[in-house]
Amino acid sequence: MSLKNCHNFEDFRKLAKKKLPSPIFHYIDGGADDESTLRRNTDSFNDCDLVPNILASVGKPDLSTTLFGRKIDMPIFLSPAAMQRLYHHEGDIASARAADKFGTFYSMSSMGNNTIEEVSNISSGPKLFQLYVHKDRSISDDLIERSRRSGFDAMCLTVDTLVAGNRERDHRSGFTTPPKLTLKSLMSFIMRPEWVFNYLTHKKFELSNVAKKTDKGTNIAKSVMEYINEQYDPAMSWKDAEYCVKKWNGPFALKGVMSIEDARRAIDIGCTAIMISNHGGRQLDGSRSPFDQVKAISDAVGDKLEIILDGGVRRGTHVLKALAAGAKACSFGKMFLFSLAAGGQKGVEKLLQNMQDEIRRNMVLMGCKTLKEVDISKIIYRK
Amino acid sequence: MNLKDCHNFSDFRKLAKKKLPSPIFHYIDGAADDEITYARNTSAFDDVDLVPNVLRGVEDVDLSTTIFGKKLDLPFYLAPTALQRLFHYDGERAVGKAAQKFNTMFGVSALATVSVEEISSMIDTPKMFQFYFHKDRGLNDSCLERAKAAKFDVMALTVDTITGGNRERDLRTGFTSPPKLTLSSLFSFAIKPMWGINYLTKGKFELPHLQDYVKEGTDTNTSIGNYFSTMLDQSMNWKDAEKLCAQWGGHFALKGVMSVEDAKRAVDIGCTGIMVSNHGGRQLDGSRSPFDQLAEIVDAVGDKLDVICEGGIHRGTHMLKALSLGAKACSGGRLYLYALAAGGQAGVERAIEKYKSELVRDMKLMGCTKISDLNRDNLRFRR
Repeated sequence: MSLKNCHNFEDFRKLAKKKLPSPIFHYIDGGADDESTLRRNTDSFNDCDLVPNILASVGKPDLSTTLFGRKIDMPIFLSPAAMQRLYHHEGDIASARAADKFGTFYSMSSMGNNTIEEVSNISSGPKLFQLYVHKDRSISDDLIERSRRSGFDAMCLTVDTLVAGNRERDHRSGFTTPPKLTLKSLMSFIMRPEWVFNYLTHKKFELSNVAKKTDKGTNIAKSVMEYINEQYDPAMSWKDAEYCVKKWNGPFALKGVMSIEDARRAIDIGCTAIMISNHGGRQLDGSRSPFDQVKAISDAVGDKLEIILDGGVRRGTHVLKALAAGAKACSFGKMFLFSLAAGGQKGVEKLLQNMQDEIRRNMVLMGCKTLKEVDISKIIYRK
Repeated sequence: MNLKDCHNFSDFRKLAKKKLPSPIFHYIDGAADDEITYARNTSAFDDVDLVPNVLRGVEDVDLSTTIFGKKLDLPFYLAPTALQRLFHYDGERAVGKAAQKFNTMFGVSALATVSVEEISSMIDTPKMFQFYFHKDRGLNDSCLERAKAAKFDVMALTVDTITGGNRERDLRTGFTSPPKLTLSSLFSFAIKPMWGINYLTKGKFELPHLQDYVKEGTDTNTSIGNYFSTMLDQSMNWKDAEKLCAQWGGHFALKGVMSVEDAKRAVDIGCTGIMVSNHGGRQLDGSRSPFDQLAEIVDAVGDKLDVICEGGIHRGTHMLKALSLGAKACSGGRLYLYALAAGGQAGVERAIEKYKSELVRDMKLMGCTKISDLNRDNLRFRR
């Protein structure tokens, strides 16, 4: 199996599974508790059907839209994801280059393995920085300053990780960052020698953006859960979020908003966007899926800020359904991480190409020339 | 596999399966007829989603709740279950001590294998006695008086076992109390020698609340279904319940109320609580799940008595959903019985600790710091 056999999410997932040591694969693949929200995130799209219009002389549909004040070539982008060097030795550099090539947003996690500056040197494409509010506030201030200097277009603050989710696959596999060899996990690494070789022969693993400020996650083998519980501030409030919005003073999103009430407050503190997300089902199991919730939020605040649907998206048709229900764009993490693991920059490019083809084909089949035409009249919810 | 590999309900169940002779495991694990209600008790929780609120400052979470006039540190307690020394030789001693350690309510069954007097001398935290209405009125009076003398806080009259449920697994395995060796069960006991040794050496198997009055269950082998059908008084009516309630003279609950009408009558006869329960799916298959029925009952009587949601709970998020609908607390039997079988007191403590840490984590992710923060705005029912 190789990249050219990867036609969809499941194919990339399979190839990633072949290439990654199993604790790392399961870190991407897993969700919280019983993973019921993880499954629902995708299943919820099946409770809604597309209704095409025929004979619309579509020609070649236009997939472009604007997001965070920038024109992008298609209504999808790469969600911020931590520690991409674990999945491929080129890490964020690979995903940033691929996104740039397809004219859409690459997002950098606070917990990235490349620096803000490194990425801005290799990509002039649209870039979003993802912020966590650390207990040590100078870390957050520093990240905002550097993102501004490096020409990032937008900032998002993640608000659904006050405490780490209960990811039981990680309990079982003993996943830590950086990876720790235990007797139990030894075999899983030995069976992936190519990954180990690349991991050891390339740039040292570190949380580059916060490395100087904290030694956690770099020198000491910690599970991601412990890192989150130690470093992130569970007392984070609307005031803290508002402080970040003012300090950044540009396009700003809250990532992880699920209630209408919170969406309204996001407007009040000056956000220009929200990402409806449950962190890919990795935090609160039993919580509502983004697609189940997007229409209600869009009806309430869709004219006042940009709505991004994050979670469960695997197909071009999912993107069209989300847009019809009121989202401006969709983002995804797992899907592009599998493609990154499967083939580095080429893998992510292959995925973005597949998605672009799917969206374009589906728009033709739907009879839509532009994304504006993908509106609520194009879907029907099943009862 | 051992205790430290047990992260959730199904892990404890697996370990219990390894340790118990199969007739005993299936007595816990099984339910009535086709076990449809048993499965629905848990899957009902999947038809509703949690909707979190963000940025609320959630450093400290208080899980305490007050039921039957007693403050518990947790919003769930250990439901009364029969025959615990069959599952682990410490039986109620292990479960009671674990409950005391976490300051939650311990339910003791009339079919318990340790006496109310011993339990009362062992723990000083809240205790509930679960009462079966026998044909033998001398036995009934004795149970009531002993529980009162032993300073139990709550009396719960079980009203859903007027006749034995059709537990077909027990028919197949030949489960009886006390366990009976038959040709077909011999092998299942022979391959769990540790259980056999403990059963035979750690004190005689007794039903201390009943054995002075009836031989069935101790000297005479009986299935539980048969015990209910032959020993309990099928003419039991509301008058009898009212009399018992007055005779007890303290906090009194009906366990197994499912209809709004009955809930209202429970208020009328002076009950201070009800357990919405179908006996863990072990009695009437096809009956409604407690969670499905909870909202109607809370709407009708929630301000007049404590409504407890009992059955199907495997996760902290399940409890959050029930509490959001208006239950005062949750309870369960299998919730801790597998853990008891898996590791005695240490097992039950680990299970409670797991649910507790799930609740703390999930409350934070929901943006709630106390149980009373939970309400129906947190929930969206799927169509």
